[in-house]
Amino acid sequence: MKGYTIDNGVIVINREFTELDLFVKSFIDILKKHANYLIVSGFVSISTGRTRGTEDIDILVPLLPREKFSALFKDITDNGFWCYQSDSADEAYTYLQGMSSIRFARANEMFPNIEFIPVTEARKAKFYELNHPQKIKVDGLEFNIPPIEFEILYKEIVLAGKKDIEDARHLRAFFKDIIKESKFKEYETIIRSESR
Amino acid sequence: MKPKTDLDYVTLYAEKLGKDNSLFRQQKMLIESQMQASSSLFKNMFSKRDFKKCAREYLKRIRLI
Repeated sequence: MKGYTIDNGVIVINREFTELDLFVKSFIDILKKHANYLIVSGFVSISTGRTRGTEDIDILVPLLPREKFSALFKDITDNGFWCYQSDSADEAYTYLQGMSSIRFARANEMFPNIEFIPVTEARKAKFYELNHPQKIKVDGLEFNIPPIEFEILYKEIVLAGKKDIEDARHLRAFFKDIIKESKFKEYETIIRSESR
Repeated sequence: MKPKTDLDYVTLYAEKLGKDNSLFRQQKMLIESQMQASSSLFKNMFSKRDFKKCAREYLKRIRLI
């Protein structure tokens, strides 16, 4: 069977769940009740078969008002997670207000962890991808990732480490039947505006 | 294509995976063994009673927080 199929615009990856998928599911089942989100970076490549490890799952989330964030924080910490930075929602929020990430892991665990990355309109590329997600599904778990062409370019232009170039190459090869050159042109302008 | 560089191997593997989903089984084994190893390492490093306190001290030392 092919590695993936497309079903009504959703990329369906034809594989079984891993423990890493379960970890992600347990977090986004809580998160999506409170906020929009986008999974980016390493997990995008790994969920599509890239054979490497990761210690964190990067998730973009719009910067929420304090009260909404407090409700989300409580839901996360009441449901088996802890925050690296603080047990206090207010203290954790000060990081987000300063546009710094915070991290969550399962209780009594360090890795994997969720890197919770705040996004506002000032972060043009991240704001764009957050609001133009591609849906992807693995064994019934549906989640949001950037458009594949966007993720490829972001890795090649902004991140550009050895691992990122390899991740981008994986995505280019795995999805070669569906990626569109016209999208690369469209997204490159947006991505370069952030990398300046 | 005869792979020569790391990128060539990445391309070769991704193209094969696109055609044959049975290769995902290897990936699942790798991911889960890494998770088990990591979990075991930190459980042994930190006492369960003071896990967060110990973990935060460690994270400050490695400048992750």
